[in-house]
Amino acid sequence: MLKEPKLKTLLELVQSSTPEELIWINGYLSGIVANAARKERMTGAAAMTAKKITLVYGTETGNAKRLATQLAAAGKKKGIAIKLSGLDQYRLTDLEKEEYFFVVVSTQGEGEPPVTAKKFYDHIHQQELSLSRMKYSVLALGDSSYPFFCKTGEDVDVRLRALGAAPFIPSQKCDVDYEADAEAWFEELLDRLQQEDAAAGEKPAKATGAKAPVREKKLYEGKILANINLNDRGSAKETWHIEIAADEPVEYLPGDALGVVPVNRKEVVDRILSLTRANGKDEVATARATAPLSVLLAQHLNICYLPAAIVKQYAAIANQQIPDIRMDLEDLLRIYPLADKEQFTDVVKLLTPIAPRLYSISSSPVAHGDSEVHITVSRNSFLAEDEQRFGLCSEFLGDKPAGSVLNFYIHKNKNFRLPDDGSQDVIMIGPGTGIAPFRSFLSERNANGSDGRNWLFFGEQHFVTDFLYQTEIQEYVQTGVLTRLSLAFSRDQEEKIYVQHRMRQQAAAFFEWLEDGAALYVCGAKEPMGRDVEEALLAIIQQQGRKTAEEAQQYIEELQNEGRYHKDVY
Amino acid sequence: MKKEQQSLSPVEKIKVASNGLRGTLRESLQDDITGAIREDDQSLVKFHGMYQQDDRDRREERSAKKLEWLYSFMIRLRLPGGFLTPEQWVGLHHIAGEHSTGTIKITTRQTVQLHGILKRSVKPTIKAFNTLQLDSIAACGDVNRNVMCTAHPAASPVHEQVFAFAGKISTLGLPKTRAYYEIWLDEEQLSEKTEEDPLYQDRYLPRKFKIAIAIPPNNDVDVLTNDIGLIAIVENGKLAGFNIAAGGGLSTTHGNPATYARLATVLGFADTEEKILKTIYEILTTQRDFGNRSDRKQARLKYTIDRMGVDAFKKEVERRCGFELEEAKPFVFTQRRDDYGWKKNHAGKWYYTVFVENGRVLDSEQVALKTALLQVALSGKANFRFTGNQNVILGDIAESDKPAIQSILEEFGIIAHTANAGALRKSAIACVAFNTCSLALAEAQRYLPSLISRIEPMLDKYGIGEEEISLRMTGCSNGCGRSPAAEIGFVGTGYGQYNLHIGGDRYGLRLNTKYRESINEAQILETLDELFGVYVKEKTKGQTFGDFARQKWIDTAAK
Ligand code: SRM
Ligand SMILES: Cc1cc2nc3c(=O)[nH]c(=O)nc-3n(C[C@H](O)[C@H](O)[C@H](O)COP(=O)(O)OP(=O)(O)OC[C@H]3O[C@@H](n4cnc5c(N)ncnc54)[C@H](O)[C@@H]3O)c2cc1C
Ligand SMILES: Cc1cc2nc3c(=O)[nH]c(=O)nc-3n(C[C@H](O)[C@H](O)[C@H](O)COP(=O)(O)O)c2cc1C
Ligand code: SF4
Repeated sequence: MLKEPKLKTLLELVQSSTPEELIWINGYLSGIVANAARKERMTGAAAMTAKKITLVYGTETGNAKRLATQLAAAGKKKGIAIKLSGLDQYRLTDLEKEEYFFVVVSTQGEGEPPVTAKKFYDHIHQQELSLSRMKYSVLALGDSSYPFFCKTGEDVDVRLRALGAAPFIPSQKCDVDYEADAEAWFEELLDRLQQEDAAAGEKPAKATGAKAPVREKKLYEGKILANINLNDRGSAKETWHIEIAADEPVEYLPGDALGVVPVNRKEVVDRILSLTRANGKDEVATARATAPLSVLLAQHLNICYLPAAIVKQYAAIANQQIPDIRMDLEDLLRIYPLADKEQFTDVVKLLTPIAPRLYSISSSPVAHGDSEVHITVSRNSFLAEDEQRFGLCSEFLGDKPAGSVLNFYIHKNKNFRLPDDGSQDVIMIGPGTGIAPFRSFLSERNANGSDGRNWLFFGEQHFVTDFLYQTEIQEYVQTGVLTRLSLAFSRDQEEKIYVQHRMRQQAAAFFEWLEDGAALYVCGAKEPMGRDVEEALLAIIQQQGRKTAEEAQQYIEELQNEGRYHKDVY
Repeated sequence: MKKEQQSLSPVEKIKVASNGLRGTLRESLQDDITGAIREDDQSLVKFHGMYQQDDRDRREERSAKKLEWLYSFMIRLRLPGGFLTPEQWVGLHHIAGEHSTGTIKITTRQTVQLHGILKRSVKPTIKAFNTLQLDSIAACGDVNRNVMCTAHPAASPVHEQVFAFAGKISTLGLPKTRAYYEIWLDEEQLSEKTEEDPLYQDRYLPRKFKIAIAIPPNNDVDVLTNDIGLIAIVENGKLAGFNIAAGGGLSTTHGNPATYARLATVLGFADTEEKILKTIYEILTTQRDFGNRSDRKQARLKYTIDRMGVDAFKKEVERRCGFELEEAKPFVFTQRRDDYGWKKNHAGKWYYTVFVENGRVLDSEQVALKTALLQVALSGKANFRFTGNQNVILGDIAESDKPAIQSILEEFGIIAHTANAGALRKSAIACVAFNTCSLALAEAQRYLPSLISRIEPMLDKYGIGEEEISLRMTGCSNGCGRSPAAEIGFVGTGYGQYNLHIGGDRYGLRLNTKYRESINEAQILETLDELFGVYVKEKTKGQTFGDFARQKWIDTAAK
């Protein structure tokens, strides 16, 4: 029955084993055989313990992780053992062995997987795996205001099926208020696991994504009360402190962000129309809206930094060779002109909606009133086509004068909340606009009389011009709300000094605060700040706690598990 | 004793508690949350030659941005007699560029100030000055300030000898504390104990103290406006000694009738160096012991002398000296403004007095003064001597080096700039005022140049454009530009508003009197037009505007 080389291996094993070992091997093999047979026969709850169920999550801001953890806990209650793993930890070589495989994954960027899921995502897309043993379902987290709603979840769903996996229950897309949908999916999943019988696999699952539960987000109409550039003359930065008043209470908590969909620049739209000789008044119907071309281009469609996939489709329409890069529509039209208006209409139909941008809220409902929100927006600038250009939304916001109207929604960030216990200490690391949520935290803790200690790390380029919210911070120091303040102005001396240097300089106190139970928050630019701060944190824990690198890593994970380490980096 | 203690002004307590002027300056420097220093330290830092200031133009805007005021420090050097070597000027030039606004400000007391130095740059600035053998000790504060001396070496063959006195007096009046070296230059503190200081003790003086030396007939230092004025007496070409005057001071406070400007009273004459220094020392100790320490507006020596009576004061000083002063010798002043352009002294050295409007050395659109002076300094061929009129004399130039200096001055248009400025402009002084002076009520150095441009055509109209009428403007009634001692004085009362004082003499022997209150530019021009009109019509031959105005409008009004 056995063919070479398996036969050869078996013979070798038998010949090299002692009699005792042979007895053990014999027992082992018969156990396996019996088990396999039992499995075939078993039905219902009794089978649960034997099932290999894996639940993985891919998260950026922690929502997917929290949901997955909830699900695993709920399963445990029902006696269903689920192996939980973050996709960054998941052993990709296990995939082909998975039987029940559930994925909770969010979508980031412009329809991209979260960083922690990137390896997994690439692996399944690049490898021709055989997943015929697998039954799966995907809970996709997303935000319907983005053009590529739940794209990653959708991609994973499609790909797993293409690799031979069978849908167990239909995959589910969730919008920002994901609770109800996620719960429904949990219930169905756990029910099905419990009732599962041999026949289960035969029932074909519904096609995924047929209907996304697009629930309307609560939109607020706000009026700009004040829009102030916090940086002084001579600064390389522009950071706008924007105060917005709604005519109704805005439901938010410190840590939440404000979502805005910007409008394209008028002069760019005009140039696009003149480049293509299109008539702005012509009605065009696209998937999301039907409106005059000029309105579509100004308010509905993203014309900035088109994703490579769309550039590719543009190349096909224009019938031209275009490198595999991202580009603004205007630049495309200029460098690779279209033949006629019809081509342009086709291109317009390719375009996706303008994505919302998020800004950490820098006010507190308790301190600033519940119908007012503040944000802290840094002017985003970059080089493109050899010129200095500015980010769409940040400039859109910076240009908004007092008195003008701004529509916005609230993006909840459950993973970036102050401790419930006001007496718990808090360490906040927020250079640049990372200060925003901490202004909210401090106002909140000050207003509600929390007596926990507060330690703020802030950094920017120059003390004189870039000390965001300086006078407010000074007041917090004077009144004792801020117990410690560590400042790092990178360009005021020859050597660059950043917040992570200040952390290291005060390693002993920092570690002491952590040991005393402080909650740690990091907010601001992901690169390089987020990484550097985490490195400094590891070093401090190693050095002060006399731990190995691994133990320090573990320490951080424990902080995370205890809800004492929160990151909001972007 | 107890009562007196209680009524001590807050600054008195700060001084005594300061552990030799150390206070918490070190801690203040480390507070990285603010560009300011702690309140008490703001009083102490003056003794180290610095003032905390802020850019008053930017207050509102910075507040809206949730930024604190733009704090910075002004540093004033201690330069007895106002002398710098060319190497020191080069260093100063670079320090100004690196750490301050870049403008070098020549003051009315013959020294220089740098503005806009951020807190973190203060130490590096002082260290840099130290490498040039320059310091700012006691340039401000309740101590003896920078000692002035008639600037131009051509004033007299004894100039060098008199000039040396400025340095000796300055040394005599230095506080004994090492605080300056420890705080700014990182010198190790040698002992826990505060240094003994027989002159200043732990309380220092009740108020600032100023000493100047004039060599008649030149009164460029405005000698009688000082707490102590020394008037050099030259007999048979030799320095015979000094008349010693005391009790000058110019500041008043609007609405406080107990304050007044006063010229120093000549007390007598002393001949030997020992006697002169001793007299100065004991005037200081008398002021230390008798000065008012509860009301800083009554604390200057002028009030002490008037309270004690001149005779009683003189007796007390003589008692402390152990000798009596001789009777004062006669002297005359016939000049107060600077001798612009080239001049040679008795020893054959050349001097070029550069016109520096209001003492501001910078490269403006009109003239690249700062670059020119740097070039002169780099040549190494001229020393720098500042005048009490806020100008600089390039001096001690050998005959053979004169052409080189001349060509630099020509190249940068300094010769033309100095020659072409009008007589009124070259006889004018303005204090700093906005944007750095925290006490300013109105503009001065930023405004006077344009006001003069409007007055000049009027003078030309009356044919008196060549008259060297002394005109001085200050942004408040403290009188830093010595406005009370001018023929025409403008004293700021509010933004764009000035009191007009007239009737002072041209050479610093008689103060002026308020003639119009809180008038704006249009009213100023109208009033001056009227006054000049009458003046040219009615003046006697050679009568200065100040003397005429006194007779015509002040004395008659008083009758
Ligand atoms: C720079 C200078 C004016 C100039 O444009 O040249 C000046 C500038 C200031 N003077 Fe003065 N004084 C200057 C000569 C004078 C003079 C003229 C003199 O000494 O020949 C006077 C009048 C004479 C006198 O002392 O009576 C003068 C009487 C004052 C007073 C009033 C003193 C009093 O007795 O009440 C103050 C205010 C105070 O001390 O409270 C003052 C205070 C100030 C301060 C430091 C303002 C402050 O206290 O915050 C000014 C700094 C402005 C700035 O931003 O630089 N300054 N000050 C002069 C520096 C001289 C030096 O190198 O030491
Ligand atoms: C949770 C969260 C909180 C946040 N909080 C804040 C906050 O408090 N304050 C804040 O200021 N920001 C915050 N951000 C960032 C913010 O949402 C925006 O990402 C940021 O303002 C940039 O958006 P923009 O529209 O101005 O720039 P975009 O127009 O979106 O451009 C962004 C970047 O894309 C690239 N790009 C765009 N066009 C081109 C082109 N033609 N060629 C080449 N490259 C191009 C550039 O690198 C550019 O920097 C937060 C983000 C998140 C996710
Ligand atoms: C910068 C950013 C980009 C996002 N892009 C998308 C997107 O393209 N499509 C989408 O459906 N959701 C998008 N979202 C929404 C997230 O998927 C959603 O907030 C989700 O709840 C996050 O889950 P997580 O915390 O597990 O990462 C984006 C969110 C952020 C902050
Ligand atoms: S006179 Fe007044 S305004 Fe002018 S510098 Fe002196 S204190 Fe300032």
